[in-house]
Amino acid sequence: MKEQREKATKYDYWLSGLVFLTGRKKICLKEIFQETENLYRANTKKIHQLTFLTEREKQRLIEAMREPEEKLSQRMEYCIQNRIYLTVWPDSQYPKRLKNIYNPPYGLFYRGTMPKQSQPAVGVVGARNCSHYGKLMAEKIGCELAKAGVAVISGMAIGVDGAAQRAAVKEGGYSCGVLGCGIDVCYPSDSRQLYGQLGEEGCVLSEYPPHTKPLAMYFPQRNRIISGLSDCVLVVEAKEHSGSLITADFALEQGRDIYAVPGRATDALSQGTNWLIRQGAGIFLNVEDFLKEMHIFTRIEENYFTKQKVPLEKLERLVYSCLGLTPRSLEDLLEETRLSLGVLLELLETLQKKGCVSEIYKNYYVCSDVFV
Amino acid sequence: MYSIVSTAIVCGIQSILIQVEADVCDGMPAFEMVGVLSSEVKEAKERIRAAIRNSGIRLAPKKITVNLYPADIRKSGTVFDLPIALAILAAYGRIPREHLEGILFAGEISLNGEIRPTSGILPMVLAAREAGKHVVCVPINNVQEAQIVQGITILPGENLNQVIALIQAFFEKKWEYDDIDRELEDGLAEEQSLDCDFAAIHGQKLLKRACEIAASGRHNMLMLGSPGSGKTMAAQAVATILPPLTQEEALELAKVYSVTGLFEQRKKNFRERPFRSPHHTVSLAGIAGGGVVPKPGELSLAHKGVLFLDELTEFQKPVLEVLRQPLEEREIRLVRKSGTYFYPADIMLIAAMNPCNCGYFPDRNRCTCSRAMIERHLNKISRPLLDRMDLCVEVRRPVLSELSAKQPEETSAEIRSRVEKTQRVQQQRFQGTEILYNSQIPVGAMEQWCSLEPEGEQLLKESFERLELTARGYYRIIRVARTIADMEGADQINRAHIQESILFRSIDRKVWNWE
Repeated sequence: MKEQREKATKYDYWLSGLVFLTGRKKICLKEIFQETENLYRANTKKIHQLTFLTEREKQRLIEAMREPEEKLSQRMEYCIQNRIYLTVWPDSQYPKRLKNIYNPPYGLFYRGTMPKQSQPAVGVVGARNCSHYGKLMAEKIGCELAKAGVAVISGMAIGVDGAAQRAAVKEGGYSCGVLGCGIDVCYPSDSRQLYGQLGEEGCVLSEYPPHTKPLAMYFPQRNRIISGLSDCVLVVEAKEHSGSLITADFALEQGRDIYAVPGRATDALSQGTNWLIRQGAGIFLNVEDFLKEMHIFTRIEENYFTKQKVPLEKLERLVYSCLGLTPRSLEDLLEETRLSLGVLLELLETLQKKGCVSEIYKNYYVCSDVFV
Repeated sequence: MYSIVSTAIVCGIQSILIQVEADVCDGMPAFEMVGVLSSEVKEAKERIRAAIRNSGIRLAPKKITVNLYPADIRKSGTVFDLPIALAILAAYGRIPREHLEGILFAGEISLNGEIRPTSGILPMVLAAREAGKHVVCVPINNVQEAQIVQGITILPGENLNQVIALIQAFFEKKWEYDDIDRELEDGLAEEQSLDCDFAAIHGQKLLKRACEIAASGRHNMLMLGSPGSGKTMAAQAVATILPPLTQEEALELAKVYSVTGLFEQRKKNFRERPFRSPHHTVSLAGIAGGGVVPKPGELSLAHKGVLFLDELTEFQKPVLEVLRQPLEEREIRLVRKSGTYFYPADIMLIAAMNPCNCGYFPDRNRCTCSRAMIERHLNKISRPLLDRMDLCVEVRRPVLSELSAKQPEETSAEIRSRVEKTQRVQQQRFQGTEILYNSQIPVGAMEQWCSLEPEGEQLLKESFERLELTARGYYRIIRVARTIADMEGADQINRAHIQESILFRSIDRKVWNWE
């Protein structure tokens, strides 16, 4: 193998940008031609001799090779100007964890700093339409992983993914968002703030070239990078046949550990996770236990997990005991506590002030701290 | 020979007197009608010809000219059949002209001479009384409607021959006032159907409370809840706890129903508040009123009562937007080439919708809607319309134990007596102003009428920050709190009132709390 190249050439940008070829095939091409420039300038005859490409792929590759050089330069210029970097297989920057997966991406466009091999990484994935429970768990996990110095890898989606990453970033930890679209496309657009933060303090990466639209077909492929970058994948909430289970499948294929957050057997959003457990995935109970199993003992503050005690009065305790992580409506509480509306409202108000209860939707309440 | 007969035309909910002139002379036999006539009036020619012949009256072939004046008003409707027929007969000399004097005639005639009911009789009779007429002759089926107007003699018209005889008898003072049973009751209809009484709604404490507050202060209300949770039933029940209409209000409403041809609907329950619930496919004209000479729409038919819009998100956007202005001005103005028409539209709006497409939100385990879908769903309701909803209540699915509970629930009558009391408090407060209910308190008069106890003010300040309220939302909370305080008979608004008012605050996009 020749010396490692730190600066990607415009031909690297060109090859990375060909979405019709899988990462594996691109790497094969690179190995055959040694330099991407050679591939770009190669004789069409030589392309036709490549047996691992299908006819269609050959045709499209030849078409792509006809692109003028100026266009290639322009593309590279665009990336450099927008602080988008490219790392290609097998650069030193290229994450080692990805090198031994089945279909590693050839190039990764990124902003921020690539995850380090030395830092343990956990992929936290889950449903977009998560329940309050899922969101809360994701936040807890993100926050505590960050405190333990573990990188949080996820897909930056709304719901579990975003919640975990947001919490990790907030805690000052490292997090990496893997996109299923061009690196300069912020999808979903609600995650703009997170996207900005990750670009500064963590990493946003994508194997797709800039401007690529977020198409449904890209997302399952994106998931293999999430699991690939992680030492272990933790599924927080997932329905049956959901994208999070695809990530889990990839993780299994790649030899990563899988953990799932258990839920009630009847909850639709826990069907996927419970099924994973049934299949032999690890059960997530709390971060401490989870990290121990991962053999990570770094920087856990002992007192963090001790429960905070908030003194509650008798009636407050009654109301509090009716609440859980599933949102409950005011009407339910009225029925259950048999208190008058005025008294109940006053109690909820004080509980909210004490930080024990929060109103997550209008007139729907949950316990605000699981560990109280 | 020449003759003249009075009739009237409906224009909006007002009525304008029209004179029908007929002239019969020798010459080529013809029947001409002039005076800006719409096609249904022109067709009267054929109806009248047949009706006169079928009534056994033979007329010699002559040249007949009929003129309706004032000639600058377009005449439409079918009330002209009877007056035209009588004018022609008078011009032929079959009826003495003096028999027709001082009487206003209105009615449609069928080919066999029978007189058919028509719409808009009530405003016509009112206009006749204002114009100084003492007698009107209306189709027999419209007599009850006409009798609402006091101080005018009503002659019931059954068929052409009977009318001729009747006016003769009346002229000769032989006709005696034959008391047609006055079915119209002044009070509410005695029996109310069971399914829309509050007693039939079990449990749902919050919903009932919201309904009572809304009815007391005449606040618009939005109900959020999955299908089958009892939203429609509750909305119907709200109409039953509103105090009965005053005589004036009832008359104004009856006029609207009269011109729409729906008077029959109000006959039985003359002083009951109307409850209108148009289907969500209703057109713009259907809700606001429409036509070349516009007829009142659902907004006006619900005047002084309840307009219930079920499945609010399914209504066409323009239909919802048209509600905005009438909700402020309490009347609707329709501008047409022929003029501007005002219809009353002082309504209490009750709307119901699902929180999301599937109806299960915020139960994420059952709700299958993505966030974008929920936002799209909510975005169907515009901000300005949402701003006009004072109360918003979540209706949850009833639990079986509540449905089968045996303990008796409060009846509508009980609640109504409380609502009446609260409304009296408001009327006293607003005496001498145009305001009738708390929901109408203008921002400028807030301090004057809505004084807060310091504790309440403190809570309101805190909530303003916490809930990220808008200025509109802030004042809405105070108005509703005012009503809650009035229900208790409290002079000042205290902390508990504000707290309850906040509970019923309108949904805000921020309140859905995404992140």
